[in-house]
Amino acid sequence: MIQPPAITIPQTIRVAQPTEQRLANGVRLLALTNPGQNVVRLSFVFEAGTTTQHKPFVASSAQNLLNEGSSRHSAIEIAEALDYYGSYFEVSLDRDYSVITFCCLARFFDESIGTFEEILLDPLYAPDEISIYASKRKQSLEIERRKTATKARERFARALFGEGHPYGVSYHESHYDNLTHNDLEEFYRRRYTAENCFVVCSLDDDPKRLARIARFAEQVPSAGHHTPVEIPAPTSTLYDSEQVEQAVQSSIRMGKLLFGRQHPDFVGMQVVTYILGGYFGSRLIDNLRERNGFTYSVFASMINMRHAGYMAIATDVGCEFAERAVEEIRAEVGRLSKELVSADELETVRRIMFGEFMRILDGPMGLVDVTIEATQNGTDNHYIARSLDEIRTITPERIRDLAERYLNPETLTTVVVGK
Amino acid sequence: MNNIFTYILKTPRGLLPLWLFVEFTTTMITYDSHTLSNGLRVVANHDSDSAMAAVNLLYAVGARNELSDCTGFAHLFEHLMFRGTRAVPDFDAPLQLACGENNAFTNNDYTDYYITLPKDNIETALWLESDRMRGLEISDEVLEGEKRVVLEEYNQRYLNQPYGDMWKLLRGMCYTTHPYRWPTIGLTPDHIRDASMATVRRFYDRYYSPENCILSVSSGHDPEHIFALAEKWFGHIPASGFTRDTIPAEPTQTSARRLEVVRDVPATAIMIAFPMGDRLSRSYYLCDMLTDVLAGGTSARLYQRLVKGRRLMGATNAYITGDVDPGLLVVTANLLPETSVAEAEQALWEELRELAESAPSDYELTKIKNKFEAEMTYGEMNIMNKAMNLGYYSMLGDLPLINREAELFRSITREEIAAAAADIFRPERSSTLIYAKQ
Repeated sequence: MIQPPAITIPQTIRVAQPTEQRLANGVRLLALTNPGQNVVRLSFVFEAGTTTQHKPFVASSAQNLLNEGSSRHSAIEIAEALDYYGSYFEVSLDRDYSVITFCCLARFFDESIGTFEEILLDPLYAPDEISIYASKRKQSLEIERRKTATKARERFARALFGEGHPYGVSYHESHYDNLTHNDLEEFYRRRYTAENCFVVCSLDDDPKRLARIARFAEQVPSAGHHTPVEIPAPTSTLYDSEQVEQAVQSSIRMGKLLFGRQHPDFVGMQVVTYILGGYFGSRLIDNLRERNGFTYSVFASMINMRHAGYMAIATDVGCEFAERAVEEIRAEVGRLSKELVSADELETVRRIMFGEFMRILDGPMGLVDVTIEATQNGTDNHYIARSLDEIRTITPERIRDLAERYLNPETLTTVVVGK
Repeated sequence: MNNIFTYILKTPRGLLPLWLFVEFTTTMITYDSHTLSNGLRVVANHDSDSAMAAVNLLYAVGARNELSDCTGFAHLFEHLMFRGTRAVPDFDAPLQLACGENNAFTNNDYTDYYITLPKDNIETALWLESDRMRGLEISDEVLEGEKRVVLEEYNQRYLNQPYGDMWKLLRGMCYTTHPYRWPTIGLTPDHIRDASMATVRRFYDRYYSPENCILSVSSGHDPEHIFALAEKWFGHIPASGFTRDTIPAEPTQTSARRLEVVRDVPATAIMIAFPMGDRLSRSYYLCDMLTDVLAGGTSARLYQRLVKGRRLMGATNAYITGDVDPGLLVVTANLLPETSVAEAEQALWEELRELAESAPSDYELTKIKNKFEAEMTYGEMNIMNKAMNLGYYSMLGDLPLINREAELFRSITREEIAAAAADIFRPERSSTLIYAKQ
């Protein structure tokens, strides 16, 4: 019998802190430097998510059309200027934030930075480009919405927060037909301002490049004031469903409105949801996939938003298993508050979470993502060490108490889309 | 470059290729290689910046090694590899205790198992992988359970998705003989349902041997140390006298093929596929560049001309399948509601013909070469990416190719591209799938 090798458990994870400067326009510029790094990434984060739009699809269109023409260059010229150097521009959007990322090889930094500036600071939003974009996106959203998983995700947000709530609402794709130049222009002026912005960059230790990035970020215009986003109180409903005749699988989404990362119980609840469904071998995987064969995958996690947070469980199961799967999920959630987790299971989860942090932080790009998230949450990269401490010391009793307090299975919102 | 490839991380295990257009980047990468006496090939890259180790085991067996009445089996088997051995009943548990994470995928050509974990714990990964190379133990009950999971995967990824069967239809049209004619998930769920324990044993004994495997590692350990560890954990496994399968070659296509189906989808889609050369041929690189001229980035021709300029389509793409044996160059389009099939086909063919008739500009080629180089550099930042690539090129039988490809691309001329376009884009070698909305 071969002896398993000895294991070393890392005690800490070294997380670099960015250097920070506040620019003349008030924008915080956070820089992560790494000597010899041959790629430059810079990400502009704006409070310009969908909650800040007054009309459907304006927030996403305003960011996606940033690179479709400026006062000096056409859309195709900008596309060429990026592609020629292998540089890229990438956007992501959630309910709260718009993140605009630029990336290039360090050796093409000088050739690329001007194009990046033009994209972010001087979008044209030409009506022609808007109409091409709208028909393209309308089609892809229509395709997306044929999927039971997409329908379930949208229904789940509505059920958790309420039909018209800014965190719950979704819009029919026909609204793409009504987008105008003025909509995007107005949104851009109102939201892409210095007061709504911070910047995180990752590069080598060449101070000239950092100074150049600072000159770029300093040009983000100031509106002179910051308008906080008002988020009304949500109202959850317990159940929603949709019949899809041709479905072979039903998409199930279950969860509960809780709280965001600032809440003292957030990390504790992260451990609870990891035990439930956060990894391969979790209770939900073991039950729904390995023991019952209802599904190919099932996952649970805590979702953090700026003004809210929730626990979510997602799985797609054979239609004939949907009811039993919902019952089994409820039973597994219930078990969390009835039984103490064993020392072995808890230790496994601790180490998985530890490994997860190590993987995210291995490499400069992950560090940018961590820094963005920390800054959005009003904290800094020391939060990783604090989270790890909490994960290391949490007890089975506290896990049970948290589950009892927050995860009564009777109060879970359940959405089933399929047959 | 712009080829269809097979993996993404952080999703449930058992991932299959198709639809996942992940950029497959190679790197200028340093490595050492060594072969154990039992035939196991070991490749190691030293990355001193990383606190982690990436451990990759590639078995050179995929859907192409299946029999036509037992398709989908290589992938089903990949699932079984996680269901325990005599010594280690649960593969994941010991790895998770070592802060490790793992996943796997199967495609036409190979099956890949990959692990990342703190570098000090690398031996845990090697122990578990060496254990399951020989000691797999599958009960009837486990086999039946795993079949149900794979059938749900079939549902989730193919049947429950709009356009989910497009690739299956296209493969069936493009290949008459070669096993690429079926998708990795299998031709029909029945083949998965019918898989027997005897087949499981035969498959394991035949293909899961050190001679058919490559261990590749990217980590903070130096290569000599990796070779010593490989000897320690894998050296005792006996060679099996493995010989490669003979795969029937696809005969040359001589007339255009066409299939039209009607489905409940929001937009009509078109795929046009052409046979191309194998992975080691020059044709591979030429076709890769052709698809980049057509669809490599937003400045590329199909998007600028057909989506933006003429507004015929909501989306277009062109890519190569990247298979080891002669694969396919595929051009796709999703039609806007006002565009007819004839109009769209004509527009696509005009683009293909133009490439054959007049060579792309030097500017276009330089752009593509720069982009290739940038993508190599971006890819180099990830140790798992490096370990996977080392395994892949080793399987191709030309490991140094990993660092020669940039040069290969640079050597391609405008005239060569035009000649390749004329050779590839022949109507009589095309297979067209019209996936029409109701």
